[in-house]
Amino acid sequence: MAASLIRPEEAQRIWVWLEHDGTSLEGVSLELLAKGRELADRSGEGLVGLLMGHELDSLADEALGYGADEIVVAEDPLLEVYTTDAWCDAAAQVVLEKKPNILLFGATPDGRDLAGRLAVRLRTGLTADCTDLEIKTDEPALMLAAEVTGFGGGVAAIIACKENRPQMATVRPGVFRPALRRSHGEEGVQSRCPVRIDPGRVRTRVLERRIGEAVDITKAEALVVGGRGVKGDFGLLETLAGLLGAELGASRVAVDEGWIEKDRMIGQTGSVTRPKVAIVCGVSGAMQFTVGIMEADTVVAINSDPEAPIFESADYCVVDDLFSILPPLIRELENSR
Amino acid sequence: MSAQYDDGTILLDDATLERFHRATGGEAWPCYQCGTCTATCPWGRVRQEPLLVRTLMRNAQLGIDEDGESLWLCTSCGICEDRCPRGVPIVRILRALRSLAWKDRRIPEGLPSVLWAVHRDGNPYSLPPCERTRWADDLEVKEFEPTDEMLLYLGCTASYDRRIQKVARSVVGGLRAAGVQFGTLGASEPCCGETALAMGQTAFAAEIAEANAKLFAARGVKTVVTISPHCFDMFQNHTPRLDEGFEALHYTQFLARLVSAGRLVCRGSFPRRVAFHDPCYLGRRNGEYDAPRTVLESIPGAEIVELEESRAGALCCGAGGGRMFLETPVGERFSDLRVRQAANAGAEVLATACPFCITCLEESAPQVDQPLKVMDVAEIAARALEPEGADVEATASGR
Repeated sequence: MAASLIRPEEAQRIWVWLEHDGTSLEGVSLELLAKGRELADRSGEGLVGLLMGHELDSLADEALGYGADEIVVAEDPLLEVYTTDAWCDAAAQVVLEKKPNILLFGATPDGRDLAGRLAVRLRTGLTADCTDLEIKTDEPALMLAAEVTGFGGGVAAIIACKENRPQMATVRPGVFRPALRRSHGEEGVQSRCPVRIDPGRVRTRVLERRIGEAVDITKAEALVVGGRGVKGDFGLLETLAGLLGAELGASRVAVDEGWIEKDRMIGQTGSVTRPKVAIVCGVSGAMQFTVGIMEADTVVAINSDPEAPIFESADYCVVDDLFSILPPLIRELENSR
Repeated sequence: MSAQYDDGTILLDDATLERFHRATGGEAWPCYQCGTCTATCPWGRVRQEPLLVRTLMRNAQLGIDEDGESLWLCTSCGICEDRCPRGVPIVRILRALRSLAWKDRRIPEGLPSVLWAVHRDGNPYSLPPCERTRWADDLEVKEFEPTDEMLLYLGCTASYDRRIQKVARSVVGGLRAAGVQFGTLGASEPCCGETALAMGQTAFAAEIAEANAKLFAARGVKTVVTISPHCFDMFQNHTPRLDEGFEALHYTQFLARLVSAGRLVCRGSFPRRVAFHDPCYLGRRNGEYDAPRTVLESIPGAEIVELEESRAGALCCGAGGGRMFLETPVGERFSDLRVRQAANAGAEVLATACPFCITCLEESAPQVDQPLKVMDVAEIAARALEPEGADVEATASGR
């Protein structure tokens, strides 16, 4: 391997690249801040969040509250939307200036893209798509041990980057718990790291950015789910979801019938969801469905059939017709507004 | 990588050819491109564009990469193999090509997590291993001992899927009525590995199979009887034999032996017109067509009718080859055609003997006008064990 641009003894602190959509941080970035905090505390290192983009003031303030000792902000108009060239240039400048020991990315499309290019630019190793991270404090230069698993090999491999710095890894979203917002007074400090991007080196130009209609119900904190029992009418469920700030979900039958779009399907061939609460209406609860809500914290099931298997997967069981249960619930929620 | 140009010219390269050759063992070479496979493949009956099996074989011969979709459509029903005049092991070749696709990470969404579940939880459904025995909570099924007549192997679907748990309970009822001494491996029962094999994770499947062979040898298993034909196929054809080895049987084969020996006698009756759907992994893949019919014919009152396509010509339900874990759009489900065949045969009950077939057929059953109940052979037998058999209950189980 090529000689490291950064010497191990000068590399310090654990860095997390903070991915965002301009207004809020991605879930995986919060997960990495939580894991990064844990690793930092165990090793006595500091934790730094790297925030890149354009006009980031409010987001930088927001990012301070999730356990990082410092948020480093790198701003430039060319960083307004993600492009490989611009972001790699900017990130490389920050890394060479600040010399992180460890640098973590979410294994998202942008995270994977940036980390791969950056690792080559920095002449260091990248452990991709990790499912666990550990730190070896007995090693002189705080070795990161990253768990990588894959079929083909069958078993997990623990990968370390011995000589080169930073020790880089992309981490699969969803494997760690996200960081919680800290109370005031516990926030880190903010600093800026100026970057210079040569527009001539940015080979792609984003002409227009359009955000699709597709929903991602795996990220929903609350779900209102309908099945065969809604008999084609998701209206009540939609109203309820609106009042609760929830997303709509559906069983396969409801999708097959064309009552609702396919990207809301829950279950074996749909999405596996992890909401805090799921209100499941008129779903019988075949295993192919319930595997999609096993990870929900609380499941409320409404079904007129007391024998419906869905009740075995529910924390609260309402044996009644959803059309007589939901209207008063909706009225009550509206009144309490 | 082979390259394709706009004018249709394909540039072959030696490295890919060599790679394909190693993976398939050159087994595609006997294919002389007659196209019988494409013509018999059931996908041609639900899609405008059939699954081009012949093209897949040609590509396997020449080392041409796939488009990424068609490779994963195959349900490994084996009807093409059965009719292939050159005896090409088409399903095995497609599995080999799938194993290459894993290495190149050209995998349909959702499949890695199924394999992760097998790896971590010992079942493809990500369900807790400790809940594996819940199906038998009130049945007092004992742990297997070497003196037992056989080991009853539930498999993941019968262990966890509430619908299929009923099948397992019916099998237990039949075994008990015949006075069979048996046990299970309880919560330590492993996955058979068929899911991994079907998806082309041949190395992982072999790892599981080897562990299972050791487990069977260590536990003194001489005969293993499975609920699912998929587990049966895995034990029968893909699991090594250690020491004295073991005999693998599908439960219909075991029940048929009990019937022939006069040990299993149905004293009740099942006065219904019953059609049997041959599961591909029991029928075409393992040549067992008679055992389930022997059991059904021993049931007083049951009138057995044959489906339009039956035995070696049976139409697949659509769930094999890992398709159970992939979405099939409305209108492209083989099981829709199959329930129509059952209705045409005038069947009141569509019987089968595979958890995946039950799930698919039951989901399609509401599409026919007349009432059609999907039942497992074991459920029908259990219903007819005693004279005052209860009436057929309704199970319109959706998701």
